Formats: sequence, structure tokens, C-alpha cells
Amino acid sequence: MTTFIVRRLLQLPVVLLAISLVIFGMMQFLSPTERAATYAKSEQQAQHLDAIIRQYNLDKGFLVQYGTWLKQVLHGNLGFSKQSHEPVLTTIRKRLPVSAELALYLFFPTLAFGIWMGTMAAIHRDKLIDQIVRVFAIIGWSLPTYVMAIWLLAVLFGQLHCCGIGRVDDAIAVQIAEGKLKTYTGMITLDGILNGRWDVTLSGLKHLVMPVITYTFVASAQIMRVLRSSMLDVLNSDYVRTARAKGLPESVVNIKHARRNAIIPIITIAGLMFAFLLEGSFFIEIIFNFHGLGQWSVPAAVQLDFPAVIGIALLVGFSVSVANLIVDILYGIVDPRISFQ
Amino acid sequence: MNPQDMKPKHEPWYRSKTFKRFRRNPLAITGTVMLIIFVVVAFLAPAITAPQLATIRSARPCVRNLGLKRGEVVQALRNPLKLTFWRAAIKPPKSCYNIPRAGYSPLPKPPSKEHPFGLTSGSYDILYGLTWGARTAFYIGFLVVGISLAIGIVIGGVSGFLGGWVDNLIMRVVDVMLAFPRLVFVMIVSVIFGSGLTQVMLALAVVGWVGYARFFRGDILKTKAQDFVDAARALGSSPTRIFFKHVVPNSIGTLLILASMDVGSIVLTAAGLSFLGLGAPVGYADWGQMISFARGYILGTAQGTPFDFWYVWIFPSVVLVLFGLAWNLLGDAVRDALDPKS
Repeated sequence: MTTFIVRRLLQLPVVLLAISLVIFGMMQFLSPTERAATYAKSEQQAQHLDAIIRQYNLDKGFLVQYGTWLKQVLHGNLGFSKQSHEPVLTTIRKRLPVSAELALYLFFPTLAFGIWMGTMAAIHRDKLIDQIVRVFAIIGWSLPTYVMAIWLLAVLFGQLHCCGIGRVDDAIAVQIAEGKLKTYTGMITLDGILNGRWDVTLSGLKHLVMPVITYTFVASAQIMRVLRSSMLDVLNSDYVRTARAKGLPESVVNIKHARRNAIIPIITIAGLMFAFLLEGSFFIEIIFNFHGLGQWSVPAAVQLDFPAVIGIALLVGFSVSVANLIVDILYGIVDPRISFQ
Repeated sequence: MNPQDMKPKHEPWYRSKTFKRFRRNPLAITGTVMLIIFVVVAFLAPAITAPQLATIRSARPCVRNLGLKRGEVVQALRNPLKLTFWRAAIKPPKSCYNIPRAGYSPLPKPPSKEHPFGLTSGSYDILYGLTWGARTAFYIGFLVVGISLAIGIVIGGVSGFLGGWVDNLIMRVVDVMLAFPRLVFVMIVSVIFGSGLTQVMLALAVVGWVGYARFFRGDILKTKAQDFVDAARALGSSPTRIFFKHVVPNSIGTLLILASMDVGSIVLTAAGLSFLGLGAPVGYADWGQMISFARGYILGTAQGTPFDFWYVWIFPSVVLVLFGLAWNLLGDAVRDALDPKS
């Protein structure tokens, strides 16, 4: 087990290096002058691009350039974003908690809902609830995040004036801007509790209603389908029959014996979901006006602000690799057969 | 003995059990019928929108490029006996993909006799955008899947057939590619090569091959282990002959079918990118771009609630969802038919 984990941990730096190489390789399609603009903070500096090119070795060979660039990246110098008028790293620091909070609130309800519905569908196979789950899953699967978000926005916000957009109510947003609320984590619902301000937390939660409904409906479809089919497999297996034959109550058989094993593929799905979640949360941030990473970097891409996009690409590539690593290790722990291969 | 004789004999596809299972699935039929409707609408887009082409002034470049005069547009485009009908349906000039504008009003206009689905803000004709958008959708879907399949088959084939360190290297590259969500990759590409439909398609194809390569490699490994391949090797066939005559034809069928089912999800993704402003330019007949018109009206404005402008966002989004649903129903049925256990 330990060797398995160590071996996977040792692979991580190699993968991260490969990711940075891919990103840097793609940047080579830009001219040195364009790449030098990354490091220019103002109009005056943009006048002296030649000096920047020399300073960052942008006219040297590929490996020298890559080395210099990597060193800058490791020191946190990702360049200057035109979109946010500040260094890329500063913007990422500011906006990461917003995206992370949103991701947390989207991830767990989706997973829980998907697992619950998938289990119900498998236990009551071909009954009414199974049919409902199937219809639900195929519609959710065909519905892109942005369409669902727009529909909810029109009905809940535009028509019924419920739930609000943005992260918090305007009054509280003003208080935050004035510095009346201490920032501990940058996550609004948590900061509210830490400040002893329940109204802030409640307001934050209220504003999360639409994003969570949107994402749960769209993304839990996949989980339901996988769990339903793996649960059906397990329910037909010998040891479940044995458990039933022993006279165990049906709920114990279903939950303790069957679902435990059926849930293994869900770990894989949860890993894949992470990359999917990033994509979905970008749409959600933009449509529901959350000031997170997506709401900054997508318009940055449209405005050709490439330091911002490269910064996001590095961040996303790294975090997806780390998520994959965690999934692999979890997989090894849940299913010991894997780590012995 | 010819090693091909060792393979199980195949009946024609329409008599196979797989096809029977597919045919008996009502969802499969629903999906197929929906898709056929989409194909017909896409094909007949010029005929359907002939009145708009004839009456809206900004449609002139398209009409001119079709070699028509304004008075004869409707007769020419709706008469299958005329050459123009077929020319417009099969290969219309590029200028026809720009949605004609019936004016410059910032307020959307509800459906009327001249504009059956209404006008968006900026007076783009919604019916025109949706019907011609269906053509764009099929074009994007098939082209992207086609290119990624071609790359995936070559790379997956090489990887699976050669094995060894080549296989290892390629699979590590695949791992790295999987670390980028499609959206992020498209963002990188559009920052470097500029944004537009071509760049989006390129980016989606470059990300898309990874799954196919993996699948094809796995399938090749399975086929390679079968007896008839050993037989061919024992008879002295060269590795290339074995690869092209025996391994590939036996692995490729499932991949082609499964890949073609991805057209729907590619179209939904591309539409999402256009919605974000990374894909088709404003005014181009593309569903995602049409939905982005909705953004100004969805929160309710001084002019009214979102439902006062329902036609701006309901028509494009419903069309998009139905398209995705059609492909998913079909894809589900195909997977069930291929693998009845699941």
C-alpha cells in the first residue's frame, strides 16, 4: 500500500512538468514581442519591450527560454493581466476562494443526490421511481449548464424575484467593500460564521440556491446512471443473495452489502467530475455573476489577455492532476485489489 | 486456410441481433425521428427562410451570391425542379450564414407574419438563425468528430499495435491532455490563434482525439490476442498486413459508432463556447450565439419581465436541448444494443 502511494506521488512532479511543457510549447506560437507583453505592467514599460525580451531570455533557445519561464512561474511571477489591471497571481489569490467555495457547494449535493437517486433506481428496478430517474437522467444529460442556468434565472429571478444573483445581497456587499467584515477565508458563508454574522451566511446561502439547483440537475445524471448499473450488478451477486438468505433486513442488505461495493466506480466518476465541475462553474460564475476565476478568465480569453489564460491553464492543469492523484490513492484504499497490480 | 475464415461469420447488419435490439427500443426510434427532422430542417433551411431572404434588405449579399433577383427568390428556392434549390441546399454561399437584420432596433420584436419566430435585439431574425444554425451545428459536430477520430485512430492504433515504450509514451501524453478541461484548452487556443468558429473546432478536435485513442488502443489489444491474428502470423503475414487486414477492420466498427454519438455533445459544447463569446461572431447563424442574445433580457428589464421576451431565449434553448436529447437517446440505445448487459 505504502509503495503504491509513494510511487504515485513520485509520478506527480513528472506530470506537472509535462503540463507546463505543453502550455509553454503552445505559447511558442506567439512572437517574442507578444510574449514580452506578459511582463509589461504599464504603457511606459510596453515602450521598452526589447529590454524585457532580453531580461527574460525571450530571444534565446527553447530550453533556455523554458527554464527562465519556469523559474518565473515557480517564483509566482505569472505576468500581468490586462483584464484585471494587476498581476495574475494577485487576481488568482483574490478570486480563488470564491471559486473554491462555489465548487464545494456544487460538488457535494451533486454527488449525494446522484448516489441517492441511483441507489433508489436500482433497488426499485423497472418500477415507477426507476422510470422517473431514467427520464430525469437523460434530460439532465442533454441539458447544457448554461441553458439550465438561463431557464432558472428567468423563472426564479426574473419572474419570481427569488434568490438573487451575485454572491450576497447588495447591502452586505457594500459592507464588505467598506471593510466592515473581516476576511478570514474569503468564503462568504464561512466568513459570516467566523464574524458571528449569521445574516451574511444566510444571504450567501440564499444566493447559492440557483447555482446548486442548476448544477445538481445537470451533473448528477452521470452519477445516477453509473451507480444504477453498478448497483444492479452487485444486487445480482452471490454474496448479496447470501446476506438475504441469512435473513438480514432488506435495508441492511441494500445499504451495507450492496451499495458499499457499487460505490467504487463512483470514485472514478467523482475524479472526472472535478474537471467537469471547473468547466460548469465557469459558466455558473458568469451567468450568476460570481466574482470567481471563471468570471475573470473567460472574458480575459475573449480580450486576448493571454497571461491570465496561461495562469488559469497552469492552475487548472495542476489541480486536475492532483485531483487525479487523490482519486487514484482513494481507489487503492477502497479497493485493495488495485494497489497490488 | 485463409485466417479470415477463422472469424465468426457475419450476417448482414440489418439482420443482426444488435440492430434488432436497437429497432425494438422505442427511445431509439424517438431519437432517430428527431434527428431526421433536424437533418431535414438543416437541408431545407434556404427554402424555409426564402421569404426572409426575399424581404430583408441585409440578406442581399446572400441573394446576390446565389445569382438571384429579389423578386424570384421564393419561387427559385422553393422549387425542387430548379438548380438553385439544390445549389442553395447543398452548398450555399458563405454570406448566407449571416443572419439578416430587419432593422437596428435594440428591443426584440415578438413573432409576426414576416418573422414567425420573432426578432432578437438588433433585429436578427430568429427563425433564420435557428434553421441555418442547424446546418452550422451538423457541420461543427461532424467535422470535429471526424478530425478527432482520424487523429485518435492513428495514434491509438500505433500505440496499441507497437506496444512497448512507444505505447507508454503515448499513454503518458494522453494523461497530460486529460488534465485540461475542454473549456480551458479552447481558451488557450483562442488567446493564441484568435477566437472564432474555426479555432473552436480546431481546439475541440485537438482535445477530442484522446478518448478515441484510448478506446481504440484497448480494442486493438483485445483483437491482437485473438486466434485468427495468431493464425495470420503463423502463415507468415507481415505485421503491416496483419494490422491493416486483420486487426483494424475488427476493431474499428464499435469505435466509429460510439464516436458518431459524440456529435451531439460536441455541438452543445461548441454552442456553450459561442455563448461565452469564444466561438461564432455576433450575427452568425449559430445556436450558442443566438442564446447569448438572451443574456440582456433574462434578468427582467425596465421594459418587462423575461417572459415578455420569451421568444428570444426559449426558441434557441429548446432547439439546442432537443438536439442534444435526440443524440443522447440515440447514443443510449446504441450502447444498449451493443452491450445488452449494461
